[in-house]
Order: sequence, then structure tokens, then C-alpha cells
Amino acid sequence: MSRWLIPAAGEALQLLLLVRGARAHLIGRYRFFYFYLGSVVLISIIMTAVFAMAPGSPLYQRWYWPLQFLTLVTGYGVLLEIMNHVLRPYQGAERFAKFSGVAAFGAIFCFALIAPRIMPHWSPGTVIEFERDLRCVQALFICGLLGVVFYYGIPIGKNMKGMVVGYGLYILTSLMSLAVRAYAGTGFDRVWDIAQPLSFDVSLLIWLVALWSYCPNPVPDHTIHLEEDYEALVARTKSVMGAIRAHIGKAARA
Amino acid sequence: MISLIFFLCIGALLFSSLFLLARRNPRSEGSSTALVEAQQALTALQTGLLPVALVRRVFAREDWEYVRSEAPRSVRELFMDERKSLAILWLTQVRAQIRSLARFHRGAARHYAKLNPRLELQLAISFAALTGACRALQLFVYVAGPYAAPQMVGAVAEAAGRICKTSEQSLAFLNAARLSALAIPATTARL
Repeated sequence: MSRWLIPAAGEALQLLLLVRGARAHLIGRYRFFYFYLGSVVLISIIMTAVFAMAPGSPLYQRWYWPLQFLTLVTGYGVLLEIMNHVLRPYQGAERFAKFSGVAAFGAIFCFALIAPRIMPHWSPGTVIEFERDLRCVQALFICGLLGVVFYYGIPIGKNMKGMVVGYGLYILTSLMSLAVRAYAGTGFDRVWDIAQPLSFDVSLLIWLVALWSYCPNPVPDHTIHLEEDYEALVARTKSVMGAIRAHIGKAARA
Repeated sequence: MISLIFFLCIGALLFSSLFLLARRNPRSEGSSTALVEAQQALTALQTGLLPVALVRRVFAREDWEYVRSEAPRSVRELFMDERKSLAILWLTQVRAQIRSLARFHRGAARHYAKLNPRLELQLAISFAALTGACRALQLFVYVAGPYAAPQMVGAVAEAAGRICKTSEQSLAFLNAARLSALAIPATTARL
């Protein structure tokens, strides 16, 4: 029963989300997100039709992974959407987030290069392992982005918060189940078959609540216009910190 | 197994980030109100909490010597506990000031297109090291007491004055005219 109920609930939620997005005029505002959602809807309709018409056909097996990768790639658009909306008014923080994103990608790339040398049994050869690595990049990208958001105290509106939490939860479940599946083998398939679509349903539910109506991201306060450049700000902060450090050190030594 | 642990750690990191985001207060840092509050906190520290004479009085060894020679044991213990609490409170204020400076820097830096990630990382580490040093000093005072190092009193008092002065410089760009213009909405917001 759960094999049908969970995907069916997911498809209903996806359609509801698209309808709500159209009625609340959100599709134009969050183009990448709705493009991702549209591609997921289209793919799930095609796959359901193939599965229903020819249950034993190898067509389903053959197309499952390529289409899964297609949604994974369009999923990067969701991350781009989040970064654009959350960090657009903060050019400095956006620069830092891009730096973190490149660093995360570099870390994974280095890990993929080094891991086979230090761990002979490790290889990203299978499709599952490759998807796991790509999900890992997404997870690190979200962690980096949230790190920047927390560090610079950047406010996030309801729409964006829901988008991040929903997509983050889905990536989290995917990463966990793919990592365990790659380690435990086919024995984990029964759990995976339920965990994966169920987590996507939870994400859809979060998106539906968060994206019910348009809620813009808080605009930064521009009452103060700083009249100096970044280098001057850093130099001043450094000199103040140096002085404080010297005094504290002196107090501790005395 | 190592790769599984690696991915589970990343999963745990992502989960904690999402959890913090879900529980986060949507208040914006670095707004004009926050900057004015930072300036007001600094003024309060300079004029009410941390003048050099007051700090010298709090750490005055002659008070302890007088109490030690005149008062019974219970009073001496009470006096020492109170002075220790005061010293720890003072260090807490210094920490708060450093954090205020860090908040101010982040609030300003996030708008700069020319932000240098390497410099920002260096500053983040420096801020963490400074607050850590304050924590360590608090621990030292808690364990050894405010009179454990006699010369510490003078240096601490001097440091108090200089910290206020340097912090004042960091907020100097908020000149009086701009501050008074911003102070009205800040007060109204609190009401």
C-alpha cells in the first residue's frame, strides 16, 4: 500500500504546489525553483505511465537513473535561486558564499581524487556512489551558505526559509540513504524505497506551507551609508582588535 | 566504513544547520538600530561601568587587607566571593564589547562587493581567539581569585580604559549628527 500511497501523495502535493504557485504569482519570482518542480512533475508522470503500462519493461530501469540525474542537476537551480534571493542585497556576503561554494566543490573534488589512493576499496564507480557524491556537494553548499547567513546575521523570509529547509531535508535524507545503500548493498533497498519518496513528500509539504503566498525577503537597512571602503574597514577592525589583544595579554601576564 | 562515516558527518552538519535555521530569530543584525545600540552600549560602559577609577576601586587590594585584618572569617569569605563575582562580571563586559565590535564589523562588511574572504576568515579566527582569551581569564579569576596576581589590577584597569578608547574609534564614523538622527527611530522601536 505504501508503495503507491507515498508517491501518489507526492504527485498530488506537487500539482497543488504548482497550482498555488501560479495563483500566488510565485512562478515568475522563483523561476529556477518552479522549473525544478515542473521537471520533477513531468518526470514522475512519464515514469508512472511507463511503470503502469508495462510493469515488467526494462524501459523503466533504463531511464530511472538518467532522469534522476536530470532532477539532481535542476536541483542545483534551487540552490542558485536560494543564493540569489537571500544574498543579493549583500554583495560582500554573496562573494563569501561563492568562495565557500567553490571551496566545498574543491573539497569534494580533492576527496574523490585522494580517497581511491588512501582507501583502496573506495571507488565512485557505481551510479549510486556518483549520485551520493553529487548530493554531498549540494549538502556542503547548503552548509556553506547557511554558515555565511548565520555569520553575517542575514535575515531570511518565510519563502526562502521554507525552500532551504525543504530542499535541505530532502538532500539530507538522500545523502544518508545513498551513503548507507552504497555501504550496506541491496539489503537496504526496502528501507530506501520508502525513505526516499517519504522525505520528498515531507519537503513538498514544507514548500506548500512556506510558499502558500509571496513573502519577500527582509530588505537590509540602508539608513547608514558607510563612507569608506572595505580595506579601511578591515584595517580599522584589525587595529582595534590588536590593541584589545595586547591589553588582554598584558592583563593576563601581569 | 571511513567513507560512510565521512558522509554521516556531513549529514549531521547539514541537519544541525537546518535545525538552527528553523529555530532562528529573523532579526537582522547590522541594521542602523543595532549599530546605534552598539554605540549606546559602549557609552554606557565608558561612563557607567568601566571608568578606570571604578575598576581600580573594585580590585583595590587595600579593601581586602582591611577586611582581612578587621572582619571575621565569614565576612572575609563573603567579601572575596563578591569581589570575584565583580571581576568575572567585568570580564563578561569586555567580552560583550568584543562581540559588539565583531557584530558591527560583520554588519558593515556584508555589504561590500570587494569583501576579501581570506581576510574575513582571519578576522573570524581573531575574534574567536579574543573571546576565548577573555573566557580563559574568567576561568583564571574564578579559580585563583581576583587578588591572585597583584599586578593584574593595574594592568586590568589600564586595559579597561584603552579598550573603551579603541572601541570608541571603531564606532567613530557614527558622528553625533547621524547618531541623533538614528536614535529617534531606535527609541521608538523599543517603545
